[in-house]
Amino acid sequence: MQRIFKERDRMLRRISQTAGLAGSATTLLCLLVPGAVGGDILVSCVLLVLAMAGGQYLLGQTGALRWILCTVLTGLATILMLGFGSHPGQTLNSGEESAISIIAATAMGSVAAVLVISRKRVILLIALFAATIAGVLAVIVFAPSSPLTLYLTATGWLGTALLGWWVGQSVPRVLHRIAAIGRAHRAERHASELEAQRRQDARLLHDTVLATLTLLAHSGVGVNPEALRQQAGDDAKLLRQLRLGGLPTPRRSGVYTLEPATESSLGNTLESVRQRFGRMGLEVDWHGSGQVLLPSNVLDSFLLALGECLENVRRHSGVKRADVTITDDENTVRAMVTDAGVGFDLGKIGNERLGFAESVVARLRDVGGNARLFSSPGSGTTVVLEVPK
Amino acid sequence: MSRRLHPLRRPGNHTVDTVLADQNGLGGRHLGLGLSLSAACLVLYLFGRFLWEWFVQPVPWQSVSAWLLLVVLGVLAHTTSRSLATTMPTWLFSAVLAGSGLVVVLDLIGCWGLASQGIYPTAAPAVGALLMSLVTRRPSRQILIAAGALGAALSVAIIAEDRGDNLLTLAPGILTIALSVIPPGVGVAVARAFRRMVTRELDLVLVQSTVSQPRFAVGMLASEELARLDLDAETLLDDVAQGRTPLPLSAQTANTAASLATQLRLHLIEGQTETWLHHAVTESAFLGPAVTLIDSTGLAGLLSPIQRDALLLTIWLLVGNTAGATTVKVTLGPITPLHGVTTYQKVRFPIRVTTTGVRRRRVDPETWQAIRMVGPHVDSNPEGSLRVDIECSVDNPADA
Repeated sequence: MQRIFKERDRMLRRISQTAGLAGSATTLLCLLVPGAVGGDILVSCVLLVLAMAGGQYLLGQTGALRWILCTVLTGLATILMLGFGSHPGQTLNSGEESAISIIAATAMGSVAAVLVISRKRVILLIALFAATIAGVLAVIVFAPSSPLTLYLTATGWLGTALLGWWVGQSVPRVLHRIAAIGRAHRAERHASELEAQRRQDARLLHDTVLATLTLLAHSGVGVNPEALRQQAGDDAKLLRQLRLGGLPTPRRSGVYTLEPATESSLGNTLESVRQRFGRMGLEVDWHGSGQVLLPSNVLDSFLLALGECLENVRRHSGVKRADVTITDDENTVRAMVTDAGVGFDLGKIGNERLGFAESVVARLRDVGGNARLFSSPGSGTTVVLEVPK
Repeated sequence: MSRRLHPLRRPGNHTVDTVLADQNGLGGRHLGLGLSLSAACLVLYLFGRFLWEWFVQPVPWQSVSAWLLLVVLGVLAHTTSRSLATTMPTWLFSAVLAGSGLVVVLDLIGCWGLASQGIYPTAAPAVGALLMSLVTRRPSRQILIAAGALGAALSVAIIAEDRGDNLLTLAPGILTIALSVIPPGVGVAVARAFRRMVTRELDLVLVQSTVSQPRFAVGMLASEELARLDLDAETLLDDVAQGRTPLPLSAQTANTAASLATQLRLHLIEGQTETWLHHAVTESAFLGPAVTLIDSTGLAGLLSPIQRDALLLTIWLLVGNTAGATTVKVTLGPITPLHGVTTYQKVRFPIRVTTTGVRRRRVDPETWQAIRMVGPHVDSNPEGSLRVDIECSVDNPADA
């Protein structure tokens, strides 16, 4: 609330400053027209106008009452000096008349903008306006001249006060609306965070999508095109469901179950992994227990690790068959992935195998599991994956 | 005040998009009405003066027709465009400008050489008031150029006019120029300050929404990015599945798939490692360029909502009050080890706010109030710019 008023006052001060300084500059120009004002009077008037400009500048910076008074009083002094000083009793010349008009209307009238914000200030506004009008009236009665000066003075004060009052209404109005926008935005941010969370939670879905994308990144070479299309179609469908806010529960493979199940069965999900690799040309033989219940986050990591191992077999082993043996005891579920492929020298694991450490080992460790790798050139590879029950 | 804010771009951000699509919709129309009313006062004065001159002696027919044309233009500009949109269509603005040019020419021709008889242009300066009433509906620069042209035309006419020895009639000429140029000038100043205020406040409330985030969160940008990547992947996979993309893939498509996979992986691993303050700074068009945040351990996430709000406001006020070459560096931590008898339910760490280009006495009083909400502080002024060390104490997350 406090800031609203501050912003409003800043805008009002700006109006005062701009209008006031422009008015003072114009006044100086009018005074300096040759023959308009006599020597001594001219010097005093110019000094007074400069003082007034100083007041207007400071009024714009601080908005303090004393600068309002300073502006109005120096302005009034200038008007009286012009009216009564140079040639008493005679008609004002058009130079003096113009200078008085612009001082009264713009240079002094500019303070009206900052005087409309509270009752006290409005009273001051009326008093200052009355004083200005009285000053101008005194001058045009004393030195008979056109009432247009009075008219312009009233217009200047009225126009500035009206503008100030209106801006004073506009600013809180718009700031309230901005606050409402902020509230809407907060809700939107919350929704967007939930959405991000939902998508990140769909880890398994992303894992299979990533696997398929990786195949495509290799142009899909070495995979049966029909099977790849099938897989891509399945993944696209799931992504679409995810995008539409659904919780995809695919018929073909239970791997993708995104429902927040607390426990899931291992058996039917293994079958889907087998089918997936079958389509890509790797025959997977399962051995051992099929019905193991695992917490869903553990199951996720376990299946991911298993998928990554089989993907490595498919790509690097050179054989088209792998064996997976699942065993479990009271605390642990263990999977042994074995192939009879080319194998490799563990000591020479280069950067290309960094992916294994990151994607398999790290994820398993996240859920308290572990992975071990056994291999030597020519005698195949065995990976043991362990997760706690 | 030289730094102008560009509209912030936040992908997929619906509230903000709607607002930025129509900035004048946000208070601009209301402000425009006020400016128009104020301009109307001036027009009334000028018209009164015109009648006064006419009352004393017949004014030339050109000036009369200039006024008639001006009234038509005013009605046209304010009825047509108000019903169309909050911004004025270019064709209409051009038409109004062309008409205004005609008004000025007619009025100047009419009053040419009559200054000594007390006849001055009145319809021509009223064009300035017309421009003032349009400032919220056209870019400020166009209004300024138009007002400048008006002022220049009047100046040329007044200087060129033959006034013999009586140079005194120059003064009412100067008054006329001032009356035509000052109102649109003030109008532009108001509209600019208003737009700037709206942009800044909007920026603040938008980043303030980060305050309610959990300790670490995904920013809106990252969230949108993930959604986009998912969509791209979906499109690619669907193209493959439907046979629109033939297998094996071309090298280019394969590359696309590879980069999608990489980005997706990064986004899934990256997770939620940034604090609300990081999101606030990166998402703000206003804070982004000026603020450096050093918070390697994510301590900002530990602050209570009140402290967060206050810290954000502090940074915002420090950057906001001194537009230009201001930079603010915020360093959080390291956690202060506690000695002696203390409660272990609290974690203490310092927040150091180092600035350049912020003079202490120009700092908004509200800033100090905000700083006090964050914690007890010590401020100093090395190298002429403010530095604040806040001693911050928060609930220990381990006890929560």
